[in-house]
Amino acid sequence: MAIHGLWVINKAGGLVYQRNFGDGLPHLTANEYLVLAGTLHGIHAITSRLSPSGPSSGAQVIEGESFKLNVLLTHTGTKFILLTSLVEPTVDAMLQKVYEIYAEAVMKNPFHTPEMPIRTEGFDAKVTALLSGR
Amino acid sequence: MTIFSLYIFDRHCACVYYQDWHRSRKPKPAVPGGTLPAVNKSLSPTTIAGSHVQDVSPRNTLSINSGVVIAVSNDDPSFTQHPSSSPSGTGGQSSSGGGQSTGLSFDEEAKLVYGVVLSLRNMIKKLSGKDEQFVSYKTSAYKLHLYETLSGYKFVMLSDPEAESLRTTLHSIYAGPFLEYVVRNPLVSMDSKERGIDNEYFRAATDRAVKSIPFYSI
Repeated sequence: MAIHGLWVINKAGGLVYQRNFGDGLPHLTANEYLVLAGTLHGIHAITSRLSPSGPSSGAQVIEGESFKLNVLLTHTGTKFILLTSLVEPTVDAMLQKVYEIYAEAVMKNPFHTPEMPIRTEGFDAKVTALLSGR
Repeated sequence: MTIFSLYIFDRHCACVYYQDWHRSRKPKPAVPGGTLPAVNKSLSPTTIAGSHVQDVSPRNTLSINSGVVIAVSNDDPSFTQHPSSSPSGTGGQSSSGGGQSTGLSFDEEAKLVYGVVLSLRNMIKKLSGKDEQFVSYKTSAYKLHLYETLSGYKFVMLSDPEAESLRTTLHSIYAGPFLEYVVRNPLVSMDSKERGIDNEYFRAATDRAVKSIPFYSI
């Protein structure tokens, strides 16, 4: 039960927000996170085309041996990615909550430029309150 | 709960084996030169003259020749079946798929699968900071499982999204049928970059192994 990090990827595949929680995973450089986010964006698009039966969404959960990436794709194309330990039953609810906070604190902020990196204190504070205590 | 398909890739990035079970959307047959011979009879291009197996049955001849990782699409008609030629991803979709199709030819599909698996594997390694393996990913329609052997063979299986981890199954396919009918089979040229590993015994044994998975059903 641990949350390792949160990413927000805009609809063009750019990383607009990245935050680590705890020391469960090594902290990489900002550049490395940008590259990983771009890769994930591409993979997400390909995975929906590989479906062996019927139409498919993109990858929703990506598992390693000790952690997983949970992806929430919103209708506007923004992706929220939560890195957690393997057993984390309430991830979907948490992602939904993060989306709500994003709508509240970022989208309603008149000083925020859409698709650009998120530099809103309110978002930071609320996300910390939601995720870091866990 | 179902199993859709199994891909085996060698360490040269080529798809050397393919088999499917309850797959409703099939790929189109591979374009000539797109895949190696002896991967899957029904999916190989029907017009290849030089390939060993000429089977009319619906799943049979895929071949992948080159070591291409990324799905490239070039419409070069002069593309020939040549092991050393560069990226073999041709976008030509001459052969008809029939029924519901993914819209991709088999060779393109195999390359996409390999590309996704390889990228995710590198991503997990990078994120974990140690040699952690990528295990699986899940979408709304399917789940992809990966088992990689020390020799670089990648066993990729697509199943129902609700399936539990199939790593043990993939390992048992490797430890059982693969070792028995491929590694210990003098007629299979492994690592040749020119031929897949398909043979009757391996196909039958793999089929049995998959059908014995508890949640395999129609």
